[in-house]
Amino acid sequence: MTSRKDSRPTRPSKASKTTQRDDPFELWLKRGLHELFDEVASEPLPEELLRLIEEDRKTRG
Amino acid sequence: MANNFHDQVIAILPRLRVQALALTRNRTMAEDLVQDAVCNALAAQDSFIPGTNFSAWMHRILRNRFISDLRKRRETTDIEDIPASVLATTAPHEDRLALKDLAMALDRLPEDQREALIMVVLHGMSYEHLAEATGCAVGTAKSRVFRARRQLESWMIGEDQESPQIKARMARMRGLLGARMGTREAEATRP
Repeated sequence: MTSRKDSRPTRPSKASKTTQRDDPFELWLKRGLHELFDEVASEPLPEELLRLIEEDRKTRG
Repeated sequence: MANNFHDQVIAILPRLRVQALALTRNRTMAEDLVQDAVCNALAAQDSFIPGTNFSAWMHRILRNRFISDLRKRRETTDIEDIPASVLATTAPHEDRLALKDLAMALDRLPEDQREALIMVVLHGMSYEHLAEATGCAVGTAKSRVFRARRQLESWMIGEDQESPQIKARMARMRGLLGARMGTREAEATRP
């Protein structure tokens, strides 16, 4: 006698799921965000802003 | 300790720029926002408790300043600003198109989701620190990142994206990434 349980289709186990870290879209998104924003982050800092910070450092120091 | 504070401000400037750009989507406004936030931080430095999370404190100041400015002037965003600088890079043509699509999709996200996504995915910020920096519960921070990511995926490759070109482009990218991962796995298992 075949049990009903045996006749059910096998469900994919949780372990077989792709983790978010390995997801191709996640990888593509991360790379895309770096392409979009890394250049901005690596631009030289504005002299005026640095001067402002250094002046404050002197007055506090 | 005062010197250390100023060094920390300088060190975090690149990340503040990215956060500001994520919020404003406009280079000029982002630069102004960073400068204003730094001024606010310098004025409020005595309220910073050494040993606590400086990054979250600083990101929060910038965010509060953005919200305050937004109330004063209800500006629209300039979606051409980011791609214009990025698309002049050496990225191959196909990648540039996909990047432009990504930039435009980012523009469509609510600003809190866009900011959260960038701070977590790009800066590797923890949900706890994101929550602290943006003044929300950890669950809300997680939810913002999750919804942003899911929405982007839906727009870029999902059912409600009507553009067959984008679908085809993403399918190729998936294939490329899949092939790269397959190669990496094969190399890793090689004796």
